Amino acid sequence: MNSFISKLALVYCLSQMSFGYAEESLTAQQIINKSNLASYYAGNDGRAQARMVIVDGKGQKQIRQFTILRKDIEDLGDQQMMVFFSRPTDVKGTVFRVNKKINSDDERWLYLPALDLVKRISAGDKRTSFVGSNFYYEDVSGRNPQEDNLTLLTSNEDNKHYLLKGQPKSPESVEFSYYQAKIDKKTFMPVNVVYFDQTGSKLREMKVLKMKNVQGHPTVVHSRIHQFSDNSYTDLQFRGVAYDVGLPSTVFTERSLRTVPKKWLK
Amino acid sequence: MSYSKILQYALDKPKTIYLALLLLVIATLSLFPLLQIDTDPENMLSREAPARVFHNQTKSKFTMHDMVVIGAVSNESVFTQARLSDINKVSNFVLSLDGVIKQDLLALNVVDNIKQERNEQDENLGIRFEYLMKQSPHSEEEAKAVKHAVKRLPMLDNTLVSGDDKAVAIYVPIKSKDLSYSIAEQVREFTNNLDSTLQFYITGLPVAEDQFGYEMFVQMGVAAPLAGVAIFLLLWYFFRNFPLIFAPMIVAMATVVITMGSLIGMGFTVHIMSSMIAIFLMPIAVVDSVHILSEFSEHYKKGDDVKATLKKVMSHLYTPMLYTSVTSAVGFYSLMLTPIPPVKVFGAFIGSGILLAFVLTIIFIPAYVSRLSEQTLERLHLAVSRLERKSALSKTLLVLGGFAQNKAKLILMSFIAVFVFSIEGINRIEINDNPTNWFKTDHEIRVADKTLNAHFAGTYDAWLVLDTSLNKEEINATQLTELLAPLVTASVVNKNLAQELTLASKGKQLFSEQLLVQLDDLSFDADEKYQTQISKIIALVDYELTKQKTFMQPDMLNWIAKLQSELINTGLVGKVNSLADIVRTVNRELFSGNEEDFVIPASASGVAQTLLQYQSSHRPKDLWHFVTKDYTSSLLWLQMTSGDNQHTTQVVQWVENYVAANPAPIDINVNWAGKSYLNIVWQDAMVSGMLDSLLSSFAIVFLMMVLLFRSVKYGVLAMLPLTFTITMIYGLIGWLGKSYDMPIAVLSALTLGLSIDFAIHFLQRTRELEIKLGSLLIALQAMFNEPSRAISRNAIVIAIGFTPLLLSPLVPYVTVGAFLASIMAISALVTLILLPACLTLLNGNSLRRKL
Repeated sequence: MNSFISKLALVYCLSQMSFGYAEESLTAQQIINKSNLASYYAGNDGRAQARMVIVDGKGQKQIRQFTILRKDIEDLGDQQMMVFFSRPTDVKGTVFRVNKKINSDDERWLYLPALDLVKRISAGDKRTSFVGSNFYYEDVSGRNPQEDNLTLLTSNEDNKHYLLKGQPKSPESVEFSYYQAKIDKKTFMPVNVVYFDQTGSKLREMKVLKMKNVQGHPTVVHSRIHQFSDNSYTDLQFRGVAYDVGLPSTVFTERSLRTVPKKWLK
Repeated sequence: MSYSKILQYALDKPKTIYLALLLLVIATLSLFPLLQIDTDPENMLSREAPARVFHNQTKSKFTMHDMVVIGAVSNESVFTQARLSDINKVSNFVLSLDGVIKQDLLALNVVDNIKQERNEQDENLGIRFEYLMKQSPHSEEEAKAVKHAVKRLPMLDNTLVSGDDKAVAIYVPIKSKDLSYSIAEQVREFTNNLDSTLQFYITGLPVAEDQFGYEMFVQMGVAAPLAGVAIFLLLWYFFRNFPLIFAPMIVAMATVVITMGSLIGMGFTVHIMSSMIAIFLMPIAVVDSVHILSEFSEHYKKGDDVKATLKKVMSHLYTPMLYTSVTSAVGFYSLMLTPIPPVKVFGAFIGSGILLAFVLTIIFIPAYVSRLSEQTLERLHLAVSRLERKSALSKTLLVLGGFAQNKAKLILMSFIAVFVFSIEGINRIEINDNPTNWFKTDHEIRVADKTLNAHFAGTYDAWLVLDTSLNKEEINATQLTELLAPLVTASVVNKNLAQELTLASKGKQLFSEQLLVQLDDLSFDADEKYQTQISKIIALVDYELTKQKTFMQPDMLNWIAKLQSELINTGLVGKVNSLADIVRTVNRELFSGNEEDFVIPASASGVAQTLLQYQSSHRPKDLWHFVTKDYTSSLLWLQMTSGDNQHTTQVVQWVENYVAANPAPIDINVNWAGKSYLNIVWQDAMVSGMLDSLLSSFAIVFLMMVLLFRSVKYGVLAMLPLTFTITMIYGLIGWLGKSYDMPIAVLSALTLGLSIDFAIHFLQRTRELEIKLGSLLIALQAMFNEPSRAISRNAIVIAIGFTPLLLSPLVPYVTVGAFLASIMAISALVTLILLPACLTLLNGNSLRRKL
């Protein structure tokens, strides 16, 4: 459910239109689908400037700044993504290119300007750190809902949120034992996700700190992932969020790695 | 108040004395539960010692932890499905333990592999970050693949898996050093119940220290009472009278309890040194009582007034007892001149304990004896007379006496020869210590240490820390000030931020990402009209921030790589892990995966981008063990196969020379941290400190002797036996090749304090006899009767009192026990031979002159 965590959050109007449903009639799978849609598929495409502040247990800070471009092939389906780094200055020009596939492994490439190197990143574990932050790659690109068994927890006290429990279908592929996601009943945005280990202690927690309505889409503009083992956290903030900017497919190609499509970055 | 009044009071009100002593003992005994054991060699340095402060800064700066090392060793390759699966079980068990810093555990199943992924057609599918061995291998091929992967990762090869493939290590970082023993015990229990072909060993300095603390505690509980029993038996042998010998035992016990109770109550921890206080005080505390009892039994005859006899005895013994106690105390107090806190505490409390024992002896013993029954006193007299009869000891002493007087010149010449020989031995002394060697060679800690260091690059750590020198020159300070001024006036930039920026621009502190974050926030919130200025400041800070990243510079990293390989070539260091390894490994995998790409990228940005990839792993924070987040400091982790100080010193000197001959391309400061390094720092402090302490106590004791005897000649004579004994003991240590470690260093002060006693008693009695008998030569002959027996008896009491230390499983105790026993024997013997020989010669000369 890291997917929820993701800040790419571009919410789709569907959530608004779906008011008519009786809440109780939704299954866990339906909720997660709506949530995924709201979090990762808002609009047909989207653009955002992101700033990560990585704060270690001692309070020391590091920053990562990048622009994300996203284009949906199909709602809840495949997507194309580009991540252009601008800071720290010495990694400026570094680009990630991702073809997110629902039914197979994602395709990932990397461009390192200082080494003039385009390198394919082998499909592997998606739960590795995203450029040294507390976010995982999967938190940014979205975790496939098919990978977990989901249950709707009835013990939810407040009636504004759904509480879902997700258990990985292949536990050896992840570091957590299960997670609990709190999803807003109105917007279907996950506002809090906690990952637990086998003993039931918290490993990490994603919290939404600030939401904003952008072009009618509820959008997370500030979220935080906290790592309990060493008390470190990473803040992810978005600026300049825009949906349906009309990004052409040509932006999401290898060509853009070396030649940055400046026009579409701002 | 004079002593005679105190004595009178003690004789009049013995019950008050008993009660006071009892209350004091109960009060101090009640403090015992507050006892805190401290086995951390770090505490050999005071908290403010620069080396220690730097060490702790380094630990926090690079998140380095104290580590327990678990080794799994096999006779064959460990890369089999079964063995790797066993190792996984152990590693997972360790991860389940409290007190383990899980995210920094180093084990095969939690570390990452970085590699080139190829399909069956050998097409390159790209770079891949994955766990090296998250699950136990499912086949023998998978087990072999793990081996292949490890060999390609310089950070892991020979650290996690031994070069001969026969051993695997798990490095367990722990939250606190004092958890290491219990963690080690839990792991031992787990591995003992594991049906495996692997042998498991546990080592690491924290384990050694914590285990030492545990055994020290046991040791104190066993050795101190044993010493008590030994002394008790010896006293019984001398006096054959239980009611009587209870008296010195009570003095000894009370001294130990009050001293230790005060030490604990005053909040001092019990360190390896202070744990020996009890065993030191016990025999010393008994000695004065032995003098009183011997002397009393000599003078007391049936029907005498006990109190009158006691007064006579006490007036006679008071001065020599005072002097011997004060000189012994001075010997120990001199340890307070060393810069080593545990040694200071040890010296202070033993010194005070000796004075306390003196006070207790002169008050309690007369009070006690005065209340003994007639029969008991009678039996005492019989026992002493029995001792006075011709025993082996008295015969030997008579022979010795004759020899000393007849062969005076020969003796003196032999002593000079031995002295010269000893000086040469002292020159050969090797200063060396290693806490692991505090255990005997067959102790499981030593066995583990030896086994694991035979397989791996080394379980002893030293950290070489490279810091960027703060640039003193101003950086665009004027420009920055100009940009800032209007923003500060308009309150767009707050004063704090402005000040930080100004300081950094003046080279007074480093730029930090924190500043950039703040400026960035500012640009987000600030009015449009300030944006240009803010972005100019951001650009400026960003530029400086990038520029100050010393350890992203290819030149610097290449310099480190060279230093690293040169260090390995010296053969002194098993392995060096550094930032250069990380960068080169990732660079290799980003390109071909072949050896030719195991290089540092050509530009700083190249390095930055390589490291950004490294951080896209499961353990991005591993990077921060080797470089700080601002890239201004870097750490090289040196693994060494021994923790001997000499070994570390050689490495430190080599690096110093190397850096002087091959300066780094950027101005940096080179410093050391790590336990092995701290050990050499306090050892150096100890050697010079001990010399100061020895020389000053020597001077004080000499002055006291001159004062006591009112004669420079006798003052010099009194110093001779101990000078000789100390020289000979240390000469012996040099010739035997025994390392000069902490317990050995402390011995010098002890020798001085204890062996002067014999000389005082000998000279004092000789002078009394000379006056009484009218001739020095006749007096010397008489000396070899009762007075020499008293001296020998005391030497035996102290020597025997220390022998329970020999039974200890811990080497420092054995060392101290063995050397103190020999020191007592040697200094008593030297006193009995050298002094009469010198006195005879001096007397002969003066006789001849008179003729």
